[in-house]
Amino acid sequence: MMGRQAFDIWKKGFDAWEKETAALMEGLLRNPALLAPAGKTLTLFMKAKAMSDRAAAEWWGAWGLPTKRDQERSLHTLNELQSRLLDLEAELQDLKDPQTKA
Amino acid sequence: MSRLRNLAKAVLRRPAVGQTPADVVHTENKWRLLRYRASAAPRSHRTPVVLVPSLINRHYVLDLTPGRSFVEYMRDQGHDVFIIDWGTPGPEDRYLEFDTICDRYIGRALRVSTRLAGTKKAHLLGYCLGGTLAAIHAAARPERVQSFVALAAPIDFHDDGLLSLWMQPRFFDVNQVVRAFGNVPWPLLQASFHMLKPTGNLVKGVGLVERAWDDEFLDGFFAVEKWGNDNVSFPGAAYVRYIEALYQRNELVRGEFRLNGIPARLDAIEFPTMAVTFRDDHIVPWSSAHVLLEKIRSADKKHLDLRGGHVGAVVSRKAATGLWPALSNWWAEREAPSETERVHEESRYDSSPRASRSRDGARRAGGSMGDAESRRHERSALRTDELGRPG
Repeated sequence: MMGRQAFDIWKKGFDAWEKETAALMEGLLRNPALLAPAGKTLTLFMKAKAMSDRAAAEWWGAWGLPTKRDQERSLHTLNELQSRLLDLEAELQDLKDPQTKA
Repeated sequence: MSRLRNLAKAVLRRPAVGQTPADVVHTENKWRLLRYRASAAPRSHRTPVVLVPSLINRHYVLDLTPGRSFVEYMRDQGHDVFIIDWGTPGPEDRYLEFDTICDRYIGRALRVSTRLAGTKKAHLLGYCLGGTLAAIHAAARPERVQSFVALAAPIDFHDDGLLSLWMQPRFFDVNQVVRAFGNVPWPLLQASFHMLKPTGNLVKGVGLVERAWDDEFLDGFFAVEKWGNDNVSFPGAAYVRYIEALYQRNELVRGEFRLNGIPARLDAIEFPTMAVTFRDDHIVPWSSAHVLLEKIRSADKKHLDLRGGHVGAVVSRKAATGLWPALSNWWAEREAPSETERVHEESRYDSSPRASRSRDGARRAGGSMGDAESRRHERSALRTDELGRPG
């Protein structure tokens, strides 16, 4: 019983703190003075990662090996091909049975 | 102390999610279309319901645990329920276009579901980003849509929410992120959602201790947590278009969005439409979701505004007595005509050979799976086995 009362009192304090903190954090997260440098930092990291990936791909390419990007493109083309075959199958189905056509 | 013991026990009980039995009726790239098996009660509503979940979360939020499952409830009400499971994008899906997902994949899901159900049209429901995708699809290609439900779906991306602000080009260079990562990693997306409410996890923890004596609450809580931490990355090319066209240029609300070259104007939506919004939704603000009803031309439109948050309001016990029956009744009142009824209706006005051929076709279809569909179904099942993906 005592434990329950202590928890309730603590909870009231926590709720009040949380309400204030959440409002403060939201104000910060809306502040362009914080958002602009955060965005620039993210972009810088992204550029650095893209550059290192490109360098690695060029090294593989120099050995005449397919790069990760080459493999991704090939796999994507295969997926596209599968989808187009399904499109074609649907068109044939419509010709065979016009009821299926919307 | 007993609360903490109960909590520890609940942590060790692993929630079994996505338990409603379903068959894979179509697979393509990484996505699958699931059809839930009918319960002991027969399917009393012929129009299929196609559910489109968000791209970055798993589909089983709508089939959380037995007794807390949206699809289980709908199935028990006699609806024929289909759901898209987007799967996990592979590195090659960095090239997957937004329009392919929104046009081809959703179109295919509607086509397969209507064919299997033996109707011309289906009820379409999109949840969160799935609602945005479904709204765009329905606006550009309304042919197979009987009605549309936008469940906490962002439509107006220039709202006063934090996400809308953060995605502006002066703060966020989306192309650099995609160039660096390919697919946008889910931890990055999840971190941005956590930043929307930085104290959210603390509040959740305190709430958990407060209700640690309630086993039912704990099971639901851990099931939602499991789902919330089981995210997927966003296909790169699709993400660029999503951010640039929707968040930055707000093309959908401005009537400028084109899906594979076809205008996707909300004012082209003439079928029954319902927008469901949640008052404590900090991910999709009320104004962003409600604008759909202001933009469409349909005379049959409804707004359901409920208490609760973005996820809780869909999976809670309260949803089982509020949201779910409301949706089930709304769909039941808006049935699509069956193939046979439609042909019969057409033949009253048309005695041409074309109408006669249509009648034969309907008889052949007979409300069951056609030959080609059956063959594809078999191939899909085979492909699923070969790839070792769960059925």
